[in-house]
Amino acid sequence: MMGKGLLSSDRARSFKERSGRVFLLLCALVSVATVLLISLFIFQQGLPMFGDVPVSQFLFSADWRPSGDPPSYGIASFIYASFVVTFLSLLLSTPIALAAAIYLAEFAKGRTATILRSSIELLAGIPSIIYGLFGIAVIVPAVRNTFGGNGYSLLAASIILAIMVLPTIINVSEVSIRAVGDELRQASVAMGATSWQTISRVVVPAARSGIITAIVLGLGRAVGETAAVLLVGGNAPIFPTSPISMGRTLTMNIVTDMSYAEGTHMSALFATAMLLFVFILALNLVVVSISRRSRMEA
Amino acid sequence: MKKTLMMIALVGALSAAAVFAQGSGESGASGSTKNYTFGGSSTVAPIVNSAIPVFEDANPGVKISYETLGSSVGIKQLQEGTLSLAGSSRELKPAEVDAGLVPTTIALDGLSVAVNSSVSISNLTMDQLAAIFAGEITNWKEVGGKDAKIELIVRDETSGTYGSFKEIVLDSRKKSPSVNAIVARENGELAAKIASTPNSIGYIGMAFNHIITEAGGKVLTVDGVAPSSDAVKSGEYPISRALYVVSKGPLQGGVEKDFVDFLLSAKGQAIVLDSEFIPLD
Repeated sequence: MMGKGLLSSDRARSFKERSGRVFLLLCALVSVATVLLISLFIFQQGLPMFGDVPVSQFLFSADWRPSGDPPSYGIASFIYASFVVTFLSLLLSTPIALAAAIYLAEFAKGRTATILRSSIELLAGIPSIIYGLFGIAVIVPAVRNTFGGNGYSLLAASIILAIMVLPTIINVSEVSIRAVGDELRQASVAMGATSWQTISRVVVPAARSGIITAIVLGLGRAVGETAAVLLVGGNAPIFPTSPISMGRTLTMNIVTDMSYAEGTHMSALFATAMLLFVFILALNLVVVSISRRSRMEA
Repeated sequence: MKKTLMMIALVGALSAAAVFAQGSGESGASGSTKNYTFGGSSTVAPIVNSAIPVFEDANPGVKISYETLGSSVGIKQLQEGTLSLAGSSRELKPAEVDAGLVPTTIALDGLSVAVNSSVSISNLTMDQLAAIFAGEITNWKEVGGKDAKIELIVRDETSGTYGSFKEIVLDSRKKSPSVNAIVARENGELAAKIASTPNSIGYIGMAFNHIITEAGGKVLTVDGVAPSSDAVKSGEYPISRALYVVSKGPLQGGVEKDFVDFLLSAKGQAIVLDSEFIPLD
């Protein structure tokens, strides 16, 4: 009697445990399934375009005239603009973000640290459309008055993006700087190094892989950002010849034409998304391989 | 135990939903659904495509699709019988009227030209407008303003507004639009950019004149005529045209007549306004 009762409660418990585990697994699979479905969908919608437009024309022509006669679907200007905007924004943000991360990890204490951290968190939480409006109101006129042109430019987009990627780079770098073992710092100081020498020669090099990961994550954010750059980049489908010329990035192109596009034009937008998707995927692989290598080194 | 119960409840709810969804789908298919194919002008498309779901809700069993083919192809396919109703942004040619086609005006299309408050001129001719938006005139002094570069602000290529401006102003003068222009995706964005960019000029559906002035921009007269619904209706204002649906012979009953009546009703005309065109009163 006693034994039987125990057995059945054991069985009930193991069933509960197992069903609980299956439930959690199903939830975890939702995100995997979503990624698979999204990529399937994008490729299914985008691939038919290559029946009408040769890959070489799509990637290497700077002529985007979807309503022209005959229409032309070349996204070279957009690839280039995406590249320039991303590069410029990282160039502007990385030094600032790195310095901020060092300060937060090594020096900030008490109230200052709290205020700094919460404002950086706030920066990360601001919707990108707000950044865009701020860009129209402040950055665009500033660029116009300083560098000429109409202000709507790759430079304005880069400045906005630089601000937007700050939290990503700061947070990830700070964590990796913190993770550097104290024995390294102590050893360095014991050798008579100043704290600047300790940071620049010991701590930052030791946190190298984390910092690179931070920059690559920032890069991913910059490449994918849409709403803010859409408002300040000018969005002209031309090949940008300087940082103050107008331009259209890959994401801007997708959003601009999405509402009314159809047929080949629509699949050209999905093909643009395919390219973006592959690019982001590659970036993530880079991040994974960096963190794997650093784990192996450790 | 609670978790397991929740899971069972969830699975139950999902499968029930699936069964119901399937059930309703089947009943829809087994009912006498009739399909209608309309098509033609891409300018008319946003109006008709917004009207279709509302009309279908009120008329169960009717399925309508609108193929964007361009006015001329639409009219040709209407004559051939592929379409039972065609949207057109141009007037019928005499030959088409002789063939028995009947146009019904469903909306008016008129565009205003707006400039930044820093621009000193208040009128442009159609020829000047065409040259400016084709990128041939690039300085305000060439049209009587001060010596400053003209900043073009246009709409995205797939919008009806872009299409209308191109067809009415540029195509008739064999010019193509300059790509050296800021592209705005919606009227609000366009109005904000005109108001905030010195020496800028752009165009916008006439129904949105007020958002230009509210944002701080200035609406120009064209060929000396101020844009207004009345000036469009009288035909005085040059950047305007009527939008039609065309039928093969006068409409007598049937879903086609119901649909046109719906477009002309207060609800239909509200959709016209929503689609950025001028309703008929």
